[in-house]
Amino acid sequence: MPTAPITTARFADYVQRDGRSHGMNLRYSFPPYPVGWVSRETLHGYVQGNDPISGVPLMEEVISALTQPLTEAEKHSKLVKRPLRTRLLEPDTETNLHRLFLENGWTDGLPIILPTEERVAEMLTGTDRDPQEFVGMMSVTTHEERLQYTVERVAVNAVMAGARPEHFPVILALGASGRPSMPSSTTSFASMMVVNGPIRDEIGMNYGLGALSPVNYANSVIGRAWTLMSINLGDVRPGATFTASTGTTINYNNMCCAENEELSVWEPFHARKGFKRDESTVSLFRGWTVLGFNTGPVQRMLEVMKNLSGPFGGAFTFVIDPLVAKSLKHEEGYDDPMELSKWLVEKMQTRFGRPEMVNFVVVGGEMNPMWVITDFSYFQSTSIDPWIPKSGIRKDERPLRMPEAVASADGSCGISH
Amino acid sequence: MSKKGPTLTVLDPVGQPSGVFGRRLDVDSPPWAIHDPENQPRDTAEALGAMKMAPRLDSLEGKTVYLVNTGFAGAKEFMEEVQDWFTRNRPSVKTELRHKKTSMFTDDPELWAEIKKNGDAVVFGVGG
Repeated sequence: MPTAPITTARFADYVQRDGRSHGMNLRYSFPPYPVGWVSRETLHGYVQGNDPISGVPLMEEVISALTQPLTEAEKHSKLVKRPLRTRLLEPDTETNLHRLFLENGWTDGLPIILPTEERVAEMLTGTDRDPQEFVGMMSVTTHEERLQYTVERVAVNAVMAGARPEHFPVILALGASGRPSMPSSTTSFASMMVVNGPIRDEIGMNYGLGALSPVNYANSVIGRAWTLMSINLGDVRPGATFTASTGTTINYNNMCCAENEELSVWEPFHARKGFKRDESTVSLFRGWTVLGFNTGPVQRMLEVMKNLSGPFGGAFTFVIDPLVAKSLKHEEGYDDPMELSKWLVEKMQTRFGRPEMVNFVVVGGEMNPMWVITDFSYFQSTSIDPWIPKSGIRKDERPLRMPEAVASADGSCGISH
Repeated sequence: MSKKGPTLTVLDPVGQPSGVFGRRLDVDSPPWAIHDPENQPRDTAEALGAMKMAPRLDSLEGKTVYLVNTGFAGAKEFMEEVQDWFTRNRPSVKTELRHKKTSMFTDDPELWAEIKKNGDAVVFGVGG
């Protein structure tokens, strides 16, 4: 049936590129923008006026789209295949290659480690898997062609992020999820990743003091690797495939941290999701932003949730200090955080009303009984163990570690100079 | 760019094309599945390549045009203005305004069936 789609002029380039990749350039008409949150008079003017791209009266264009005979090109449209990528880039100097990666948009804008054959080969020692084994497919868009990738392509991005082989199993698990950390939406999505299980300590992740701050090597490079994978394996091209209007700085590191299982009074997060306690997993969350932080009992949590429910509201993930979990259990009787989720959802009376949409992860160093509230939904937990070598995590002889938080128990009271 | 100095060989960081595309959600999919690789329906290059544009009408005179509000912010009011334009400027064209039942990402087979049965053309709006 003849169809005439209308989309705002802001997306004219976007839909024309989309038409090329899907093999069919539909007959779009483009009113000015924005269409949302403008007056009725403005919309009336858009409909009465011209398409700012073509200069033709908008509604005449719509009628032409439905009545003008198809051109030969439209009758015989065909999908344009993207060329296969080479394995190696043309050799060049270090300076020129850094420029090449930056100017092609293959980085997050920060300096990278160039993925030489030697460095990638070393990264591949972090797993037993064949370098050419298929890991997954990813796209930051909902509709464009997914890009597929092997163990080796994931290793390339891991090297670029500054990771070491010991981090590689976590990064492969992220790749296997097929989930980009920065899905394309005009609303600017953000993600969070939380690691559970024995691998946390083996690779020196931080789940205590400052776990969400840039004071830990593993947290920093693993979170960054997910971003670089999203860019290069998820096909981020600003304006073409990536449409975040304001964007978010959370995309740089994706709030990469581990859960403080040792100080939590609750079952670890991954165990609550059906994994064995001694299994290592990475759990993935997505929403838009950190809504705030606060302290106090569940009644206060409820008040804040009611006040902060965003335009797409309904899901919340709390990142809570271990002191908060202790208080919730010992002072308020919540042995299981799911009981708390049920209570909060019942009181909130949200549109979707599922307790699974309110989650709790325990992170922090017991410096302050505070909780951070986000609008993140929990999506999945992925096992890391299948990517770990049979011989165990492949560590450097002297693993790279940043200074750990100084414990007052040593008598220094944190004073080191 | 200068080629002075020793050269390095590095690997390409970009993924390979797969021939697999995403597509709109099935009618019973939860709305959040649009960005969920596990639940998002997929299309293939072959299936997309087989799709063709429909022949156009000679004229809209006496025809029924469905106006479909896709669900983006402002689309309802915009499509009402489009309907008003037809009423004022093309009174011989019958228009039917419909609103997608779920999200803009989700299929609406009942509506498509109604349009195929009763309509001659469709205007979708407004994206963005």
